Amino acid sequence: MSILSENAPARRRRITTESAIKAFFGSNALVAIVVLALITIFLFRDGFGFFGQNLANLRLYRRAGLEYVDIIRTQAQTHAALSRQLGDIRMQESRTLPSGSTLEAFDQFSAAFSDSGEFLNALVSDANDQALALREVLIAAGSASAVSSAEAQPSETAKPTAPVDPRAAMIALRTADEKFAKIAEGMKGKIDNLLAAPPVLSSPKARQSFEKWKKKTRDYVAQFPVVSQRLRQWNANEPVPAYRAITAFLFGRDWVTASFWQDWYGIIPLLVGSIMVAAVALLLAVPLGVCSAIYVSEVAARGEKSLIKPYIEFISAIPSVVLGFFGIAVVGQAVRALSQMPFMKWVPFFPISERLNVFTAGSLLALMAVPTIFTLAEDALRNVPRGFKEASYALGANRLQTIARVLVPASLSGIISAVLLGLGRVIGETMVVLLCAGNRIAIPDFTQGLGAFFQPVHTMTGIIAQEMGEVVRGSIHYRALFMVGLVLFALTLGINYLAQRLVARYRMSIG
Amino acid sequence: MIAAPSNRRRSRLLERVLFWVFRIGTYFVLLCATYIFLDIGIKGGRTVFTRTAPFVNVKFLTEPPQTLYVFDYQGKKMELSDREFREWKTTHKEDVDVTSVSYSAGGIWPCIVGTALLVIGSMTLALFIGISCAIYLSEYSRDGRFIRLIRVAILNLAGVPSIVFGLFGFGLFVIFFGWNVSLLSGWFTLGLMVLPAIITASEESLRAVPQGLREGSLALGATKWQTIRKNVLPYALPGILTSSILGIARVAGETAPIMFTAAYAMRDEMPWQVSHWTNFFFQGVMALPYHIYVVSSKIPQNEYTERVQYGTAFVFLVVVMLIALTSILLRERQRRRLSW
Repeated sequence: MSILSENAPARRRRITTESAIKAFFGSNALVAIVVLALITIFLFRDGFGFFGQNLANLRLYRRAGLEYVDIIRTQAQTHAALSRQLGDIRMQESRTLPSGSTLEAFDQFSAAFSDSGEFLNALVSDANDQALALREVLIAAGSASAVSSAEAQPSETAKPTAPVDPRAAMIALRTADEKFAKIAEGMKGKIDNLLAAPPVLSSPKARQSFEKWKKKTRDYVAQFPVVSQRLRQWNANEPVPAYRAITAFLFGRDWVTASFWQDWYGIIPLLVGSIMVAAVALLLAVPLGVCSAIYVSEVAARGEKSLIKPYIEFISAIPSVVLGFFGIAVVGQAVRALSQMPFMKWVPFFPISERLNVFTAGSLLALMAVPTIFTLAEDALRNVPRGFKEASYALGANRLQTIARVLVPASLSGIISAVLLGLGRVIGETMVVLLCAGNRIAIPDFTQGLGAFFQPVHTMTGIIAQEMGEVVRGSIHYRALFMVGLVLFALTLGINYLAQRLVARYRMSIG
Repeated sequence: MIAAPSNRRRSRLLERVLFWVFRIGTYFVLLCATYIFLDIGIKGGRTVFTRTAPFVNVKFLTEPPQTLYVFDYQGKKMELSDREFREWKTTHKEDVDVTSVSYSAGGIWPCIVGTALLVIGSMTLALFIGISCAIYLSEYSRDGRFIRLIRVAILNLAGVPSIVFGLFGFGLFVIFFGWNVSLLSGWFTLGLMVLPAIITASEESLRAVPQGLREGSLALGATKWQTIRKNVLPYALPGILTSSILGIARVAGETAPIMFTAAYAMRDEMPWQVSHWTNFFFQGVMALPYHIYVVSSKIPQNEYTERVQYGTAFVFLVVVMLIALTSILLRERQRRRLSW
């Protein structure tokens, strides 16, 4: 009794040290949760202001009449596109002719067609200047708090010395209604005249495209009244609903920054780019990764196994920036050179013009994803209980049948989760896509079919890495990049969660 | 049911064909990787090694990057670095038609130093937090909702893309804490990024220590902490460190997290040339992976730039691969030896 009571203070002290140590380790264990929470908080903190700024941005777009001008501009652009198509048709035609002399009629026709848009272009450029001036006034008046990145640039239109009344400016801009109706009338007459006497083409291919072109042009002319109507009904004071700030981000098809006209922050081109690159990478990596996992765990001899496994693990340590550099220096060139080979002529979209494209980036990412898929799939295959295999052999199945009917189905959820984790790695990878995907912010032209996979794209990870260093802190552009980061974060978390769920289920089914 | 002989022969043929397909697929992957190693090894080796003694291009490894000046002088093609060109100018007064190529002369010494500093700092941080966390998880915790939450967080943290870590580091350390682009921001960003890998590896090693060692120690009257310090950690530490080497390869190899937290494209001072010792932590550094990104994307590809591009990639690849190789070999050895 006495010994214990003597030692009591010492023991109590020891106990408190013990619990202090425990608390210390416990607090370190908390770090993972804290970091995850902090990532979420900081992405939200810097990203969420985006919607407010984007809404102001969109409201200004309407109030300054930029939206109005864009309606007319679309018409002018369609006209220009039709003009360009005439050029393409001319190319087709001239290829079949030995000399260009007989194309005179066609040249006259296309010149007349492109001239018919003259007044429309003039109208667009006038309205353009008016709207920009009006926007300056509105920004100066502080009616819109949107700080567009374009504002920082010296604007081309001189700042009005005398304050202009925005309402008067808008009325001036709206005179374009009448002008457009008149111009459209004139254009319709000219184009109808032209279409009444089309030039005769000799090449069947050119004739076919010309027929298509004529149909498109008729459609174009036919919708003038509708456009005119839309212009008249357009109202600068119509409120922009708040949800537009979100939909313009999630479903926006343009990512245009630091433009003199209007900045757009739509994630779709980046998302499509990321998904296309990931699709190519997985298409290559899944068969290779699963093949090699089956080979190493079931077919390979012991010596072979002990060489291949560390080597593939070794591949996973190749830094992504080195792979990206290798893509620029070697793979891109090689892919383009291959597409220019004569024996590849049968592929419709070959030869390709860009050496850095979805395929280049995807094939390099595949090499990064193979080790991930291989390691996890091999684990899953090895973890199938021995009894399954033995039972299968005992029933007289050969090795292939055992693999296909027993081992792979038993480890399927493990393999699928391996593929998902590979996908997570590929979607989140930055350096390879930044260096090799071509970095053109546009949705690829899917009318080319599979050729779309040989066009340059930009990705979510790439755009953050590329533009983050240059933006002004707190600007709408800066916040938009954080929003992209948030989408990326949510996407990878979702993929991870799915993979974990699958693994958990798979463990139970085997146990 | 015994299959007919012809049937059996066909299935055997199919088996053989498919196994060959698997074999070819596996070796194709290995071949691709080998090709990359060879290409960078051969072309980079030309920069890093020399034919004459000391057989290593000392200048490339010990000088900062400089701008290269290329010009014709009296029918001779001159390629001079920034410093050499200025010296040459003092003795030659005539005007020459000069083409300048950024980053293509000199070497990569500051990048090597910067990468080493980043790795040392972030690994110290990650090992400290990671091992503590693993000790808690394997020695103190009982299974419960809290522990499950921690495990879920660790698993999810492992899947966060490195660029998101970069954004997070930029938002928290660079801007919110006001550390700017600095070593300290880079250490924390990289350290937190590699944390999940360290925790998982450490916990595995700790759990591999047999329960009997702990029970024996506790039975002799040692406290929990004494047991851990004397009877668990010493046996687990070699395993923890070996597995952590792979973390070093990852920290050294990542570019995205340091792009806006720690890396400068060009810096003239070396990291130790600071006015006050505290400034050491608040300075940005050059780093090998970022340098590769800069020289492969910001300058055009030609005969002059290829030298520095491949040279840097070679040095970087060799460093990272040596680290990875050490880790893999040590682990293989340990797996064989450590079966209690």
